Amino acid sequence: MNALADFYARHSQLIDQIGINAVLALSLSVSLQAGQLALAQAAFMGIAAYVSAILTLNYHWPTAATILVAVIAAAVVGAALAYPVRRLRGVFLAIATIGFGEIVRVIANNLGVTGGAEGMSGLPQDANTLAIYASLAVVALVLFLLSRTKFALAVALVREDEHAARGVGVDVGTVRTLSLALGGAIAGLAGALYAHSSAFITPNDFGFERMEQILVWCVIGGVTSPVGAVLGAAGLSVLPELIRFLADYREITNGIILLLVIVFVPGGLASLWRRGPVRVRV
Amino acid sequence: MVAQQLLNGLFLGAVYALFAVGYTLVFGVLDILNLAHAAIFTASAFVAFSLAAAGVPLPLAFLGAAAVGGILGILLDRVAFAPLRRRNAGTLVPLISSIGVAIIIGAVLRGIYGVDEKHFTTGGLDTAPAIHLGPVTFTAVELTIFVAAVALMVVLSWVLRATTLGRRIRAVAADRIAAALLGVDLERTIAATFFIASSLGGAAGVLTGLEYNSVTLDMGSPIELKGLAIIILGGMGSVTGAVIGGFIIGAVETLSIAAGLSEWRDAITFGVMFVILVARPSGLFGKRALRQA
Amino acid sequence: MNRTSVCALALCSIGAIGAIVAFAAPSGAASKGPAAGKTVHVGVIADVTGGAGVYGTPQKNAYELANDDIKAGRIDAGGANLTFDVQDAASDGAQVVNLMQKFMTDGSTPLVLGPTLSGEAFKAFPIAARASFPVMGTSTTAEGVTAIGPSVFRDSLAESQVIPTTVKRTHDKWHYKTAAVIFGDDNAFTKTDGDIFTRELKAAGVDVVDTETFHIKDTDFQPALTRIESKHPDVIAIGALFPEATKIIQQAGKLGIKAHMIGGNGLNAPDMYSVAGPSAQGTVVGAAWYSGAKYPSNLAFVKSYTAKYGKGPDQFAAQSYAAAQIVADLVAHGATTKDEMLSGLRNVRVIQTVLGPIGFDPNRDVKSSPVILSIVKDGFTYFH
Repeated sequence: MNALADFYARHSQLIDQIGINAVLALSLSVSLQAGQLALAQAAFMGIAAYVSAILTLNYHWPTAATILVAVIAAAVVGAALAYPVRRLRGVFLAIATIGFGEIVRVIANNLGVTGGAEGMSGLPQDANTLAIYASLAVVALVLFLLSRTKFALAVALVREDEHAARGVGVDVGTVRTLSLALGGAIAGLAGALYAHSSAFITPNDFGFERMEQILVWCVIGGVTSPVGAVLGAAGLSVLPELIRFLADYREITNGIILLLVIVFVPGGLASLWRRGPVRVRV
Repeated sequence: MVAQQLLNGLFLGAVYALFAVGYTLVFGVLDILNLAHAAIFTASAFVAFSLAAAGVPLPLAFLGAAAVGGILGILLDRVAFAPLRRRNAGTLVPLISSIGVAIIIGAVLRGIYGVDEKHFTTGGLDTAPAIHLGPVTFTAVELTIFVAAVALMVVLSWVLRATTLGRRIRAVAADRIAAALLGVDLERTIAATFFIASSLGGAAGVLTGLEYNSVTLDMGSPIELKGLAIIILGGMGSVTGAVIGGFIIGAVETLSIAAGLSEWRDAITFGVMFVILVARPSGLFGKRALRQA
Repeated sequence: MNRTSVCALALCSIGAIGAIVAFAAPSGAASKGPAAGKTVHVGVIADVTGGAGVYGTPQKNAYELANDDIKAGRIDAGGANLTFDVQDAASDGAQVVNLMQKFMTDGSTPLVLGPTLSGEAFKAFPIAARASFPVMGTSTTAEGVTAIGPSVFRDSLAESQVIPTTVKRTHDKWHYKTAAVIFGDDNAFTKTDGDIFTRELKAAGVDVVDTETFHIKDTDFQPALTRIESKHPDVIAIGALFPEATKIIQQAGKLGIKAHMIGGNGLNAPDMYSVAGPSAQGTVVGAAWYSGAKYPSNLAFVKSYTAKYGKGPDQFAAQSYAAAQIVADLVAHGATTKDEMLSGLRNVRVIQTVLGPIGFDPNRDVKSSPVILSIVKDGFTYFH
């Protein structure tokens, strides 16, 4: 037990990071399962992080309340975003959402209330490991329960063949809106937790670099697999510390690992466990 | 002042257009977003720097570096995209593998060149005299760069329109399966497309490096996302669209600054892109309408 | 008083004076301090790779040079085996935090230097502050860094400590009436520069006729400079880091702008003139360090850094080397644990470094004088 406590004392920051990253990866996974390349998770994360941070620092709300409001805000933005992009698919949707992310980043950078480029510091780091992993568990549970509903069937159908889905009466627009809102809510949860476990947030924490990171976690883990998303997030969060001994060669190792997994493990890490054909086509 | 700002926008737009053309060519032919394009842009700039430092005259260094960019493009396809084509992997997975290649290129460049900014010491770039033409001022270097960018785009346009290769590329872009059935050698055409697209992207990199006399490891990142906005604006897969889009975005950026909205300029650029994407997803010149699923 | 108490008083005074002399005596080269023979690893977090690599690499270089100099006795650590362990955070906030935790809990690191960027410091220092673990920033000049906690120190002059002097000295000399400010709006350091310049210029009675902003990594400043020139300011204040600053100055020259230019710490790099060109001549830079300052260890530092790395040190390197000198001084006085380091830092009076003689003020910020420089063909001279 002592060894465990010692391990935790030495790595608690990394453990917290893994938890938050896993929630983020799940948020993208929700979109990808609907076949939507909606790359706005980093922006939703940022919106929620700032809402939570502002309510905490400027209005002294209790933390749990700020997290709730932040999640709702991100979900609302997600649902709202679904409308203008409703006719976009594939790469077009991806680029539109990347553009949305850039707009959010610029707004965060230029507003006074967000602290602009100087960010918001002095955040109380009161989201402990338990809170983070409890949230992860709740998200996982919710997604698991959802996967047993007809909604999940509709989502899968929309992903595989949108025309057929329409043909059997699935309201594609609603499915897409709901999946974007759900993805937004989950990313928002990650963002609010991030604001309460980092001492400091800045607009660049939520830009395209972060979005690329989340995307890589999901694809490496296994595009349409939530388990894969979590695996990818966990594995790649730990990787920099695992290969620290490579010093200057860490960067190139990252690139090589990425390429190797993509080319040689088509279904991502999750497929190393799973048997059977992997339907991956996003 | 407005005239000077418009000229600034024109010069900026030319290089943007050259970069965007590479993006759109690859997308048109393969439906992939090549996120290693900016890394090749940067790599070519460094190659040009090395050639110039070794005494090669600038125009030759420029062509040599662009050619190296083209070769990198072919390698990129072999390593990151071709293996995925065989298993029909969709659009997301190749995007990630291009990120992998971009990281590798960046790491190699850092290993060879270090983190410091590089400068062209030959060619008199720093002492180029300013030319005053009425209300506007520019240097001979800027003008040369503009002319070079435009010339390359004209050449590309001719290649696509008037050569057999160009016809093959357009055929594959229009309908890959039909083209294959009609006897077009897919792999060779794709390789040629990558060579052209990446050498143009590389050329844009060299010109950018020469324009500001600065070659750095991260010189590609400002243009990476802007390139996406440009090809959306112009229409994915349309070379004409990428060119016009490049000039429009160059103008939008410059005019944002001129209007005192510099800190909002990225939001304005992507806002414009967003509006176009929503109102007219095929962009200004795209033939491809909204892609269904 | 009777004779006994006078004797006692005299003896105590002699003892006290002796103790003061013993503790305050500067250590000679390679002396034998209380920690002689002990091994001390100090942790360093630097962005050697990634977006901030161009700032973190000179820092790493300086620490490696310091390691050499300690081994050879050129820096006196009182005979202790003092080394700086530089770890790369790859410009990633998550890695900075993990490295901080790693150093804090490895059981042998008594102090951490760095990280490279102020934003990273805001993420990592609170963790150290909560555990009363001593940390010192060498390049994190944003406002509020040392306020994070009583174990947070800083040896790099903040912009708020330098810019007022820059404005005052140039205004006293040139008596300018109008100015424009151009600064980076998406970076905490450059934005602070811009805000402080604007504030100080206005306070000096100067009319700020135009304000322009740019983004980090921008290369084309002509649209912004064109706007500035249309207002014809006497002076342009530049809040930028080296890559952007050189282009601003060069392009200003290209457009024929004749205004005086003044800038912050970011312009204090050895190849300003060679990169920015002749337009840089006469630009005034308010800095925390001057490569030509004749402080005892400075010229030797510049010489050996240049010999080892092929180019001169910049301010990032100098402030890192100074931190190494400060730590060596603490170790020479016997500090080997984190509590000893902390109390050592609190009790520092004056230490001779490449930045000159420095100490810490009650807020744990560095007590040092800014130096106002002028860019010339081979580097810098003092601004007169």
